[in-house]
Amino acid sequence: MFELSTDVGNLKELREGDFSAYDAIYLGDFSCPEYPNNFSSHAELLEAGLQHVHANGQKAYLRLYAVPGNDDLDWVGDVIDTALQLPFDALEVHNLGVLRMLRERGCTAPIHLGVFGNLYTHETAKVLKDHGVTRVYPNPELSLDEVRYIAEHADIEVLVPVHGKIPLVISETCFILEHSEEGAEGGCGEGSCSYQCTQEHWLKRGRDDGSRADWSLKDTGRMTLSGKDLCMVEHGERLAGMGLKHFYVHNKGEAPGYAAAVGHIYRDALARAFAGEAAGDFAPALDTLAGLAREGLCNGYYFEGAGQRYIGRDR
Amino acid sequence: MVMMMAPGGTLEMAKTVLDEGADAVYVGVVGWSRRGAQDELNDDEIRHTIDYALARGKEVRVVVNTLPSSTELPMFVERVERYAGWGAQGFMISDLGAMRLVKERLPHVNVHTSVGCGITNYEDVRFLRELGADYVVLPYRLSVEEIRQIKGAGKVGIEVFLFKTPSGGKICPGKCNMSSYFSFRRWLDTEGKDHFFGSASRGGDCLRVCQTEWNFNVDDIDYRMPMTIKTNPALWLEELPDYLAAGVDCLKVPGRDRSTVLVRDIVRVYRRAVDTILESDRPDLSVFASELEILRGRWMTERAKRDNRLLRQAIDESRRVAAA
Repeated sequence: MFELSTDVGNLKELREGDFSAYDAIYLGDFSCPEYPNNFSSHAELLEAGLQHVHANGQKAYLRLYAVPGNDDLDWVGDVIDTALQLPFDALEVHNLGVLRMLRERGCTAPIHLGVFGNLYTHETAKVLKDHGVTRVYPNPELSLDEVRYIAEHADIEVLVPVHGKIPLVISETCFILEHSEEGAEGGCGEGSCSYQCTQEHWLKRGRDDGSRADWSLKDTGRMTLSGKDLCMVEHGERLAGMGLKHFYVHNKGEAPGYAAAVGHIYRDALARAFAGEAAGDFAPALDTLAGLAREGLCNGYYFEGAGQRYIGRDR
Repeated sequence: MVMMMAPGGTLEMAKTVLDEGADAVYVGVVGWSRRGAQDELNDDEIRHTIDYALARGKEVRVVVNTLPSSTELPMFVERVERYAGWGAQGFMISDLGAMRLVKERLPHVNVHTSVGCGITNYEDVRFLRELGADYVVLPYRLSVEEIRQIKGAGKVGIEVFLFKTPSGGKICPGKCNMSSYFSFRRWLDTEGKDHFFGSASRGGDCLRVCQTEWNFNVDDIDYRMPMTIKTNPALWLEELPDYLAAGVDCLKVPGRDRSTVLVRDIVRVYRRAVDTILESDRPDLSVFASELEILRGRWMTERAKRDNRLLRQAIDESRRVAAA
């Protein structure tokens, strides 16, 4: 009927978390190879992660590093070589070069294009389809109507994020490390990472009185996210009516328990929407989701406005 | 022979840079390039620029590097066919689908991939070459060695900007949506063309939200003075001989959104510098140092004014929406 997925960075988080609300798991943090025991950069951990996910009856997708430089291509190639020996349900790429590497290695697994793949048009989706891509994550700047157009005119699966922070910019080095006292002692990628990203880092502009900032961003080191949480829980019926079927909750950078709480709410809301049942009162779900969203909720660009607006019940 | 390409943010600028020694001028089409309309040309101006360049044995590249809407693509192709028919020899494009459509219909034109493609490695370049790219523009931050590796990966023209940022940091342009997250509007014109405020990728100005003062805090404790999020690129020259030796085919002077007099003076200096390099095995570029330093200062002054104007727009729009 529909698929709900989320992301998990490493084996520890996978084993300790509750991801039972999800049909599929994107394994790995595509933004930072230094993230501890990241599936995306630790080929030796892939099999254990894959087995754990499959044992739970879920699909396992492997995320590959999003912005490899020339010097990264060798180790990315090693991860790919290991992954291609395992029964992953798909591999996710954000980088055209990595997509080319998969093709050169004869990859027969489905390939998903990730959020930093700059997918804006159905014609680009067709180009990528010719290179083995079966699912695309359209750029967050696209409206729902544009997303649907791509799905229909390229005849390709589209991944529709329904909740969580929006990836806005990716970095080749760690912003947190570069702006910490320790950053002066060693550059990012030189084995000096002290994993300060385990603490929450925020960029804020505006009010200095401790209240919600006019503008806020969350920074995870190699990726900057929206300050607000995208929230589409009130719009499940519309999503189902548009023929969209693959939904995603962004988990990277969130505290333990976030994916579970959000996932169960969306599992219920989407199941009702797809069954054609009355939606009921969203207030309790919205209260829970708003409680998890420190800087509030938004709809992203789905309704053709600025990414941090929210349309629905006043949040 | 390396091609020096310079900006035509206005018709006056386009003619000026050609007069000052640029081999080619690049001009954006209103609504179709990664700038606001004030730094783009309408069709009459584009035709005039093409005629002016061709009469002097020079070339025009047309910038159509927005990431368009799917429904705009027929209009995109029609525009490219029109400008190619007028004599434009190349197009700067970001969208892969648009790139393939252009190469299918106009195999003789040069396709330059734009910064919007977000290249990070030589495998990216191979992919784009196989798709039909004739030139790939590299990001501002690559080292000479990285460029050499990319050049060695396959036969494709290498284009670099004559300004750059230090390696690392947030990938901009090409992988950033921060501007539109805070301030974004979309509207259709009478021809059905999409226009966007707040998104460079989609055809407006980046509103430079990275350049405001941000408080960076961890667990609610500010641990830095207010700071900008991203460093700005600066004009460079010292490594130019190494870049050319590494196989760079096209040098791109930045500045569509700068004043004509500043861009004119930049082109003058770089024309002389490039000629000096091409004429000598051991070029002495120190003679340009003081001129370049002055140009860097003028560049920063104009950038600050522009950033402040755009940031003001971003803040006003964001507050307007919040109050609505």
